[in-house]
Amino acid sequence: AEIEGPKVFWKISMWGNPRALSAGMEEMAKNAAEATGGNFQIKIFYGGQLSGARENLDGLKLNAFEGAAICNFYHPGKNPAWMVFSLPFLPLGDPAVDRHVRSKLFEHPALIADMERWNAIPYVSGLLPQYEILGKGKAPNDLSDWAGMRVRAGGGLGSALEKLGAVKQTLPAGETSTAFQRGALDAAAFPFTYAHVSFKISDEADWYTTNLTPGTSECGWLFNKTAYEALPPQYQEFLMSQRETIMETTQAAYAEQDKKNLPVFQETMAQVTYSDEQLAEFREVAGKPVWDEWIAANSDKFDAQGLFDAVWSYAEEAK
Amino acid sequence: MTGPDWGRSLQTTEYVVQDTSHPKSLLSRFDRMLMPFEDVANFLAATAIFMLMVLGVLQIGLRSIFNAPITGYIDLVELSMASMAFLGAAYCQRLGAHIRMELLVGRLHGRTLWAAEIFGTLVALFIIGVLIWYSSGHFYRSFTLGDTTIDAEFPVWPSKLLVPIAFSLWFLRLLAQLWGAIRLFLDPSLAPVAVVTAKAVAEQAQDEIHEVMGDDAASENKQ
Amino acid sequence: MIFGIGFSDPFLVGIIALVLLLALTFAGVRVVFSASVVGLIGLVELLGWGPAAGIVGTIPHAKSSTYALSVLPMFIFIGFLAFHAGMTQQLFDAARKWFGWVPGGLAVATVFATAGFAAVSGASTATSAVFSRVAIPEMLKYGYDKKLAAGVVAAGGTLATLIPPSAIIVIYAIIVEESVGKLLLAGFLPGAVSALIYAGIIIVWAMIRPHEAPSVSGYTWKDRIQSLPGVSPIFIVIVIIISAIYGGWATPTEAGALGAAVVFVVALLRGASFKAISGSLMESAKLTVMIFSLIWGVLIFVRFLGFSGLPEAFTAWILELDMPPMVIMICILLAYAVLGMFMDAIGMLLLTLPVVYPAVIALGFDSIWFGIIVVKMAEVCLITPPIGLNCFVVNGVRPDISLGQVFRGIALFFIADVITIAVLLAFPEIVTWLPNLLS
Ligand code: NA
Ligand code: NA
Repeated sequence: AEIEGPKVFWKISMWGNPRALSAGMEEMAKNAAEATGGNFQIKIFYGGQLSGARENLDGLKLNAFEGAAICNFYHPGKNPAWMVFSLPFLPLGDPAVDRHVRSKLFEHPALIADMERWNAIPYVSGLLPQYEILGKGKAPNDLSDWAGMRVRAGGGLGSALEKLGAVKQTLPAGETSTAFQRGALDAAAFPFTYAHVSFKISDEADWYTTNLTPGTSECGWLFNKTAYEALPPQYQEFLMSQRETIMETTQAAYAEQDKKNLPVFQETMAQVTYSDEQLAEFREVAGKPVWDEWIAANSDKFDAQGLFDAVWSYAEEAK
Repeated sequence: MTGPDWGRSLQTTEYVVQDTSHPKSLLSRFDRMLMPFEDVANFLAATAIFMLMVLGVLQIGLRSIFNAPITGYIDLVELSMASMAFLGAAYCQRLGAHIRMELLVGRLHGRTLWAAEIFGTLVALFIIGVLIWYSSGHFYRSFTLGDTTIDAEFPVWPSKLLVPIAFSLWFLRLLAQLWGAIRLFLDPSLAPVAVVTAKAVAEQAQDEIHEVMGDDAASENKQ
Repeated sequence: MIFGIGFSDPFLVGIIALVLLLALTFAGVRVVFSASVVGLIGLVELLGWGPAAGIVGTIPHAKSSTYALSVLPMFIFIGFLAFHAGMTQQLFDAARKWFGWVPGGLAVATVFATAGFAAVSGASTATSAVFSRVAIPEMLKYGYDKKLAAGVVAAGGTLATLIPPSAIIVIYAIIVEESVGKLLLAGFLPGAVSALIYAGIIIVWAMIRPHEAPSVSGYTWKDRIQSLPGVSPIFIVIVIIISAIYGGWATPTEAGALGAAVVFVVALLRGASFKAISGSLMESAKLTVMIFSLIWGVLIFVRFLGFSGLPEAFTAWILELDMPPMVIMICILLAYAVLGMFMDAIGMLLLTLPVVYPAVIALGFDSIWFGIIVVKMAEVCLITPPIGLNCFVVNGVRPDISLGQVFRGIALFFIADVITIAVLLAFPEIVTWLPNLLS
């Protein structure tokens, strides 16, 4: 084997089915087995077999498994600093910039401290794509058209749309398509494009926003700190060396989806493309106030201003 | 095994509420001391169900008519579910309504029956004891490390705290039943106190009838 | 580790755990305890005490606090309220006025009345109990065969779990992570088909032996029309639930809440006492706790299965068998028929689905279709010996009809159920058509 070492079996907890989000980690698990001659076995358990999505941090704290995926917005109170990823209008629209910023943030002390409490260490970002909004009925070509629109959007993005006068609807993701289809909902924001397709929203929508890039969230991968520290150094090095490959594979999987989905979207839906002036106005009305509120609400918990500023400086670096 | 069906008895006949032979026995007093707590806990669960109905109707109305859905409705429902799912556990145990397979135990009598009851109750005490401790841990993590709901960011810890509270009451009820079973194991001729006797399926069916039709139907059947 | 097997052999660990679970359950340990204690022991074997007990401590709260499950207390409450609002008697009266004239008219009316009550109740045994009291005396008065009268009531009760609202279907949806709404819709037609096949087999039987099941005539159209307002709340509830799910204007929980509110108001208008209402609520709370305890208890065991890797190993094994999927499906259904003789439906589904479901899906079957088939199987078990609970219920209400007579009366409906299952196997569209209208 390329890397010598003891027999180790790692369990990674993930909810739902194998998908683009998990493609990179699957690739890494395969590489680990190959490089160690089958000694380092990493298995991703899907379907919440090891833990529900909202209890993955508890499971790491309890040392029940060696790794897990989390989405920051499933449990805002468990990872307050990580909610920075869900702020609207962060400069993460370009996939290359996004990748750089998130890689740096995964080593940011505030985010590490959040995970430290759960005996977890941030490993690699899932690079969730930017959200876009799909909707039915009259397309919101002007920002004023958003007033009164019933939108399913969570976190900072939901707050941003509320600033425009939209009515935020709370619905389980699985119920969205039904409500949407029958007129109980006007629009829904999900990671673009694959989530709109997997929740079957694209089948029904009349229009989609092409360049709103209103924000995203973080669904990424963590390791159990105890388990990681117990690994021989050559295994630790191997894991850390895999992060670029994982992100590449994941982004390729999203791109693969987009390649399939975008032509269909363009054919079946009207495109809502905002001018630079409109986007600037949107950011002014619905971005800054949400940022300020978030920074004010979290300043006593961690250096919220510093973390927020870091996002922008990392983005600047990447350009 | 008898079904977790939609109609089960409120007044199960086999539960002996009073022990007239030893009205002041310690077990009797313990048994009766627990009852009001169990009743109130189940009543709170019942109230939560009623409120769930009211909240659902309100949500439909506010959303459909005024386009103003209740903020965090789903979060509220999820937080309230712990009250419906756990608070009635001890009450349900007192009435012997947690399901089990009666095929074998329903045919036992005397000492063997009480030995089986003691065994089953010890298993129950063990797992509920473990759950009290470790569900407290689950609560404690959410209390100290932070945990909020997905949408309205309500704190989750009050809901998690209900689990160890309800299970502690359940544990006490199980203790009373263990005590009652040991007492009858030692002397099967005593009047039963604080125990739920095993029932044959046919008797179980009789309970279901009681439940849907009330006591008059049951007494009619006996005529 | 207790047995020293750990993660090395999922089948061995799984089988030891299953044997232990069956032993404790047969010894009369309540299922919530036997399932959770074996789950804990299994997890300790795999993970050691601290992580195992810690994980077990998260499950009751995590698994109970799912929005989708909140529909259960609503459905339960509707059932208790509907009974207290006196809907059973009115349903039967209406049904006999509409269907009394056909051969075996009163038995056919009983089938349709139980199907109607199924739309407000998810309780097989409760439905049988109630109609034993309402329908059997009438049938006997008109000279119906005792066995037939008892059988139709026991069998009619099982319709309650297919026709929405239904607790078992909600639980299936949640275990397999399917849409609750779609599955509830999916039960509707198979429930109706079951009722029609029951009615058909009664009519055939009554034509062969008219003296055992005479028709009842003499009702005018006026009588029929006048019988409708009394049963209208049931139609309102059906319309609310189906249209909410289909139209997407309310989630199943909200639709259940609205349905409960409608029946609540009807019960109040019909003079239900405060005592009856609060009794319904206390009963609903107790039943809710019982079902939720069963759910989290069994899910502790299922969590152990997840860690053990058994579900995947089992799926791999099934796929390696290289047999036609339909043959495997029939084997699975036969296994359920045997299990159902000894276990109650919810426990059976909760325990088996995490292992069986992935294999069934890997074989290419539709998850909604499989859910309805399995629920129908579980319902058949409610009327088969040795412990067909519905038959005991009928015998309990009518001690003058012996258990043997009830079981003999069931034979006809057992045949009807076998036909129904064969029809659903041959024409899966009956299950999938309504829910597929949604997508
Ligand atoms: Na039903
Ligand atoms: Na049976």
